This record gives sequence, structure tokens and C-alpha cells, in this order.
Amino acid sequence: MTVIRAFVSRSAPLMACLGLLAIWQVAALMLKTDSFPGAWEAIKAIPSILGDQESLINILASIRRMAIGFSVAVLVSIPLGLMMGRSRAVASFFNPLLMITYPVPKAALMPIILLWLGVGDIAKMLVIFLGVSLPVIYHSFQGAKAIEEKMLWSGAAMGLSAAQRMIRIVLPAALPEILTGCRTGLVLALITMVTSEMIARQSGAGNILFNALDMGQYDTVYAMIIIIGAMGIGLDAAFERLRARLVRWSEPGFEIPLSFA
Amino acid sequence: MKLMPSRPNVEAKAAPARQTGAAMITIDRVSQVFRTSGRREHLAISDISLTIEDGAFVSILGPSGCGKSTLLYIVGGFVSPTEGVARVKGKAIRGPGPDRGPVFQEFALFPWKSVLGNVMYGPRQQGVKSGEAEAQSRALIEKVGLKGFEHFYPKELSGGMKQRVALARTLAYHPAVLLMDEPFGALDAHTRTRLQNDLLKIWERDRKTVLFVTHSVEEAVFLSDRVVVMTRAPGRIKQIVEIDLPRPRRRSELLLDPRYQKYVVDIEGMIDDTSEDELRP
Ligand SMILES: Nc1ncnc2c1ncn2[C@@H]1O[C@H](COP(=O)(O)OP(=O)(O)OP(=O)(O)O)[C@@H](O)[C@H]1O
Ligand SMILES: [Mg+2]
Repeated sequence: MTVIRAFVSRSAPLMACLGLLAIWQVAALMLKTDSFPGAWEAIKAIPSILGDQESLINILASIRRMAIGFSVAVLVSIPLGLMMGRSRAVASFFNPLLMITYPVPKAALMPIILLWLGVGDIAKMLVIFLGVSLPVIYHSFQGAKAIEEKMLWSGAAMGLSAAQRMIRIVLPAALPEILTGCRTGLVLALITMVTSEMIARQSGAGNILFNALDMGQYDTVYAMIIIIGAMGIGLDAAFERLRARLVRWSEPGFEIPLSFA
Repeated sequence: MKLMPSRPNVEAKAAPARQTGAAMITIDRVSQVFRTSGRREHLAISDISLTIEDGAFVSILGPSGCGKSTLLYIVGGFVSPTEGVARVKGKAIRGPGPDRGPVFQEFALFPWKSVLGNVMYGPRQQGVKSGEAEAQSRALIEKVGLKGFEHFYPKELSGGMKQRVALARTLAYHPAVLLMDEPFGALDAHTRTRLQNDLLKIWERDRKTVLFVTHSVEEAVFLSDRVVVMTRAPGRIKQIVEIDLPRPRRRSELLLDPRYQKYVVDIEGMIDDTSEDELRP
């Protein structure tokens, strides 16, 4: 009984993926239009994309921009969010700024950014940076604000300076919340990466996708969607593993594989 | 030998100087006003003066909400009083410091650290080498009865266990003054008795200055040199009772001692009086 249950819960994500592909295949067979190839055709196109050197360079360039944009955003946003959470002055300075930028779709800023920085890497990384920053700042802020004051008092009584308390108490205590923000940020990094390449076509995974669309190579389009989707799932799952490891001390006692919580 | 204690000293501000030593903590006409979220001002404690000599064990008793924790926070330097000054060794308290170790009512353990990590935190911060800090911490953990739980995280502990970790964590960095806010409140009677005895032993050996908040009259009389009884909010000092019982104190002897019993009954009476005062319009 428990063995079966364990098997079912472990293979559930895989089953869900297969189910989705099956529905796709059936729908494609029923609709029979050129612009909607079946799942199988799309999957068949994947090896030729991944085997092509130019495509690979494109995809790797995307990943590189995403990695840089994400890392810089995290490195800037965590300290900023934590300081906002601990200091009313810092919070009231940055809050209006964030409130204005929050609802603006980062892709909508793309034309302006392109105008200033050109179509190169910098412009795209900046868009990714903007997309990732906000959730990370927000969650770091919430995490730092929610810390029990007496934890900081305990640290102060042991002789920790304000700076030491920030790094050695606020940061670890807020870590679960910070990592939740980073996880959202990671998915947003992928999304802004693709949109930035859609607007500033030059290189990248998004570029392959939209070029194929222009040329009517629909199996490539769908294959790229699968590749980008798989990258997203893979990154998210890897990050979730890292997160669960880092904040084991705060987790309730069960796990959902590949959860999207 | 006189069996009955003389009538407890009723004058709050002029507590007689004790033989224990020089003043460690002086609380001088301290009041604390809090601004509550309804923008109303709330007087938590009012005009409190108290001197605690070096090496004295002083307990504070009083109804819930009378400002016992607030007074402790002021001595800890976590809260600065609206009026008056608190001093430690004659110097006005500006902020927290490792000379005053708090044990909070809410434990405030570091949840990302194991039991051992929590207890080692203070000594490590003070520059004790990691091996030495670990050995000392393990000994303390054993002393508070948590041997075998060194690698548990706070979320995996019961309330009473957390309380014992909080106690060990503060004892670990050897503060000269212990500020203990109902440190045994969440413990079962048996563990409570054991830790009271342990605390007494530690105190009799190191002669730390202790400011101890409790709701238990027996506990206060058993442990203290002096018991401070506070009134209902806004907290004022109602009476200060010198506990003139011989040390070292043994629980088994003390419980049978009529002087001990008289102190307990007297102080319980004072606390009852306090609530009667409150019932009068
Ligand atoms: N930060 C704060 N803001 C506003 N009011 C506060 C604050 N802290 C405490 N108070 C008020 O001050 C009074 C005293 O609180 P305190 O925590 O010192 O009581 P206490 O004697 O320790 O009570 P207990 O025995 O229940 O722990 C209470 O009426 C409380 O509402
Ligand atoms: Mg209290």
C-alpha cells in the first residue's frame, strides 16, 4: 500500500507531463492545421536544434545573460530589501520608487532601454535585472520586517554590532522568505529573458523561436517552447532543492516533488 | 533565634543597604510610556526606584501586564525609559551589553541554529575558540537536561525545552547580571524544581546579580534575597520584602521552615491586596 502510494506520488509530476503531451497530440490530430503540429513532431525537432552549433550558442548566450542578470539582481536586492525591512527611513525612501516600477511590465521599458543602451547584452540583462529585483526586494523586505525583535536583542546582548546583527541574524532569519522571492525571481528571469529577445532580436533562445515563427517552421517553434519550458522546470526544481537544503530548519515535515507552491 | 521574620520592609524607595556589595544596578525614578497603535499613551510603569547590589538575587512579582518585562528591558538596555535613569555599576545604561544577559519570556532562540549552535553563539561571539566553546556548551546543555538534543532545531523542541535552551544560551557567555523573565514558566513542576536548584547552585558559586521575574510566590521566596511586589498597571512598587532565610537553601528544609511559610503567606496577601485595590472604583 505505502509502496504504491510512494510510487504514485513520486511519479505524479511525470504523469502530469505525459498527460499534457497526450492531450496536445490528440488536439493536434483533430485540428489538423499547419500552425499546430503534434507533440511528437515538436519533440522530434528538439535533437536537431540542440545538435546545431549555432542554436546551441544562441541558447547558451541566453542562459548567460539570464545568469548574470539574476545574480546581480539578487546581490543588490537582498541587502536593499533587508535594510528596508529594518529601517523606516530606508523603506520610506525606496517604497514609492518600487510602487511606481512594480506594475510596469518590464518588457514595456524595453524600447526605452534599447534606445539608451542599444540591442546588445547590457540592455537585455538590465531588463532581466529589473524583472528579478522586485520580487526579491519585496520578499527580503517582508522577511526582515517580520523578525522577532527579541532575537535581535539577544544578539545585541551578546555584543553583536548593528552590522553584525544584519548579517548574522536578520539575513539567516529572513532566509526562507528571501529564497521564496528568489524562486519567483528565477522564473521571472526566464520570462523576461525570452521577452527581451523577442523585442531585441539578435541572438538567444527567444530569437530562434521568433525567427522560426516568421519562417513558418512550426515544429521548431513548438520544440523551442518545450526546450524553454524544460529549462524553466529544471531550474525551478534545482533551485527548490537548494532552497529546501538551506532552510531545512524552518520547513514543515513533508515534501512535494516539483511543487509550484 | 527568632522564628518569625520581622514585618517586611514596607518603604519602597529606601530599601536598606545590604551587605552583599556595591550597587550593581540602580533604577532611579523610572517611568515608561508606550504609544499604542490607537495613538493613545499608555503608562506601563510609573516612578520605579530600586537598587540591586552586586551578587544579589532579586525577584519581581506582580499581576500580568504590570510592567515586569518592561522593567527588565530597561535594565537590559533594549528600551530606554521615558523618564528616569537606570544605571549599571554607576554608568547610565545606553544599550544592551554582554554584562547583562537576558532570558526572554518568548525564548527568542535562533531558529536556524541547532541547540548546540544556539548555546555556542555567545561564547563564539566573545572570541572563545570553537572547540572550547563547544565543550562548555555541551556541559551546559547537559546541565539543563537536554543531553542528546544537541543537534535538534528549535522547531523540534517543546516549550519547556526551548526555555531551557534559552537559559543555557544566556548562561554560556557568563553575564555579570542575569535578567530572567519567567524563565521557568513553561516547565513542569519537576523540571522547574530541578532547574531552580541548579540556578541556585550556579548563583551560590558565581554570585551573579540576578533580576528574576516570576508569577510564583514560592519560587520567588525560595530563590531570592529580596522580593519586589508590584501593583497592577501602571506598575509601581508596592512593597519590597527582604527574605532573611539562611543559605545555602535546601528545598526540603525550606518547605518545612515556618519562616519560609510565613513569607509565602505574607506575600500572597500583598498580591491579593493589589487586586482588591483594583476592584475599588
Ligand atoms: N511595545 C509596546 N507598545 C505598547 N504597549 C506596550 C508595549 N510593551 C508593553 N506594553 C504595555 O505595557 C504593559 C506592561 O507590559 P509588560 O510586558 O511589561 O507586562 P508584564 O508584567 O511582563 O506582563 P506578563 O506577566 O503578562 O508578562 C502592558 O499593559 C502592555 O500592554
Ligand atoms: Mg512579561
